Amino acid sequence: MNWRGRLLIAIPYAWLLVLFLVPFVIVLKISLSDIALAIPPYTPNLKDGFWPMLSVLDLENYAFIGAGAVVAGFAGLVLCIAMYRVIFPRIRRAMLPETADTIFDSAAAALTALAVAIVNVAIVVAVLAFLFPALNAFVEIPDFLYFAAYLSSLKIAVISTFLTLLIGYPIAYAMARAAQHWRPTLLMLVILPFWTSFLIRVYAWIGILSTEGYLNQLLLSIGVISEPLAILNTPIAVYVGVVYTYLPFMVLPIYATLDKMDDSLVEAAEDLGCTALSAFWLVTAPLSKPGVIAGCFLVFIPTLGEFVIPSLLGGSDTVMIGKVLWEEFFNNRDWPVASAVAVILLMILIIPIVLFQRNEQKQRELEG
Amino acid sequence: MAHANPDAVFAPWDDPVEKPLIQFKNVTKRFGDFTAIDDLTLDIYAKEFFALLGPSGCGKTTLMRMLGGFETPTEGTILLDGVDIGPVPPNERPVNMMFQSYALFPHLSVWDNIAFGLKRSDMPKDQIGDRVEQMLKLTQLGKFAGRKPHQISGGQRQRVALARSLAKAPKLLLLDEPLGALDKKLRHETQFELMDIQESTGTTFVIVTHDQEEAMTVATRVAVMTEGKLAQVATPEVIYEAPNSAYVADFIGDVNLIEGTVEVPAKRASETSVAIKWSATAPAINASADTPPPAASSVTFAIRPEKVAISSTKPKAANVLEGKILDIAYLGNISTYHVEVAPGLIIKAQATNAKRVSRRNLTWEDHVYLSWTDTAGVVLTA
Repeated sequence: MNWRGRLLIAIPYAWLLVLFLVPFVIVLKISLSDIALAIPPYTPNLKDGFWPMLSVLDLENYAFIGAGAVVAGFAGLVLCIAMYRVIFPRIRRAMLPETADTIFDSAAAALTALAVAIVNVAIVVAVLAFLFPALNAFVEIPDFLYFAAYLSSLKIAVISTFLTLLIGYPIAYAMARAAQHWRPTLLMLVILPFWTSFLIRVYAWIGILSTEGYLNQLLLSIGVISEPLAILNTPIAVYVGVVYTYLPFMVLPIYATLDKMDDSLVEAAEDLGCTALSAFWLVTAPLSKPGVIAGCFLVFIPTLGEFVIPSLLGGSDTVMIGKVLWEEFFNNRDWPVASAVAVILLMILIIPIVLFQRNEQKQRELEG
Repeated sequence: MAHANPDAVFAPWDDPVEKPLIQFKNVTKRFGDFTAIDDLTLDIYAKEFFALLGPSGCGKTTLMRMLGGFETPTEGTILLDGVDIGPVPPNERPVNMMFQSYALFPHLSVWDNIAFGLKRSDMPKDQIGDRVEQMLKLTQLGKFAGRKPHQISGGQRQRVALARSLAKAPKLLLLDEPLGALDKKLRHETQFELMDIQESTGTTFVIVTHDQEEAMTVATRVAVMTEGKLAQVATPEVIYEAPNSAYVADFIGDVNLIEGTVEVPAKRASETSVAIKWSATAPAINASADTPPPAASSVTFAIRPEKVAISSTKPKAANVLEGKILDIAYLGNISTYHVEVAPGLIIKAQATNAKRVSRRNLTWEDHVYLSWTDTAGVVLTA
């Protein structure tokens, strides 16, 4: 490779180094520091000299937010997935004859494999806890707030990804089945919301969902309800906001895979004896899987760290890690703890991001 | 047409007792204002290899898709074995289709692609494996059973598509431009494979093609279509030797078309002879027809280039025309000579190159004679 080639590659890497790695190292360093009433609000810093600064860094903040439990839970999850991947093909082969391959047979095999994997991991955990009692201290959670926030973010991200898929797939399917001359218009309509600020669009939902909002007024006027519904400041409002905001990210990749699909495949399936429904399950659904996976990650990854939607639409009981992070930084001015929360969040996000990349790569290979 | 027993000529269409497998009865199909199929009536018999031939947009694919169940006729009925299949959805028809794009399921292996239709049928599971193996053997795909469609060549994909559509042993197999994606050499080989498979399985094949050579090679009968109508339905020989219209004559193969008017027959002429006046100065063309058109009616005389002889000396024949060689198309085995016999009228004549080119005695600008017998050409009134 000549120097021009190297330079071409060096530019994006330099960019990443300056704009991602350097800030990350700074955040990592802050997360290992202690809170102080100073500017900047932590100690030690470079004024103390480089080596003395490094020598007093510690993992106190991580212990405080219960990072040990998060890491342990995480390790357990990774172990579960790895074990599932090993077990699933064996179970499938053992349970099913060559000829059975309906989606229900596969689902049954998948559920069995998942159950076996979880039981195995539980046994491993129990044995470890019994052999090394010192590990108990590692997973101890001094302040449950952070752990609960991670879990609640995970739950909200999973549920809203599922809801977005449920709404997004039919939209993408209808778009791909629409007459050729309508498709650009429909695509435009999906992208159109991006022309307005995300913040303003989320704000608009307050006007719709509040007690005196348009939705309640409409429902009251047509007599469906007699009392206004309390939707704003509840988890439902957060789901509405997330699904609304991230719907295009689900629709576009699914539409892309469905649009590429040869229509004659479905006709061939029907010609070979499928009803319209079974043709969908056996041909359209498996062929749109890469789009579905891409869409799910594109919704899941940003939702996990979402801050604006829960703080505008959610109530005080909707705890999401993005919101906690904000409060630590700006309300408590506890930069070290906030940094520790951010580092753990990044670690949690790495797994779906890596899986997303692998899915994209696999699809590219299939397309040759 | 390769048939094992030369005594028993396969011609169910000439047998009044034979019942057709498929009957189109006054079928019309419109898409909005566009009429794709226009009041078409057609019978196709069991074990036929029937070709629908025509330029793109003539309605041949629509006709086939109506058989497959992907389009419903706007008017008229289609009968399969005497049963109206209009309301029967594609998945319940005893008809399978091989798609132009092959439409192989990219997420399934070759084995699973072939087994796809069988798994949807009520065939017991233990027999499916045997049937798939049988199909793999028929199409010589045994080695590729575990591969995915994108891991095999175009010719192999074509055979997978054929195996998949034959696996359910349909009464009728539809082939939509099945060889369109193959290169010429492979196409020729595959045409003979298709004929062998059609004969060994005894399935009725309906093939759509725009390649007239392909239709002539494989088919028992050819239907030439134009603008949603059937121009002619006949065996390849009849289509070629006795086209019923100038359109068919022109569409199939190379032809010379000369327009003229029928002269009043001479007294001593036989009942079948026709004299066609095509130029004020040149002698009339002597031809023959079973039922000669009336005098003074305008007709087209069609003659194939290979039936026109070319010589440098004046031969004795029913028709002799003088002309000058304008062009010579050398094709290796044969040469086609473009001879101008009258201002603006060029007649093509073909001669086999029995001698090597260096010894050929005809060349550009040569004064030559074209000749043919009175039965070599056809008189067309349409």
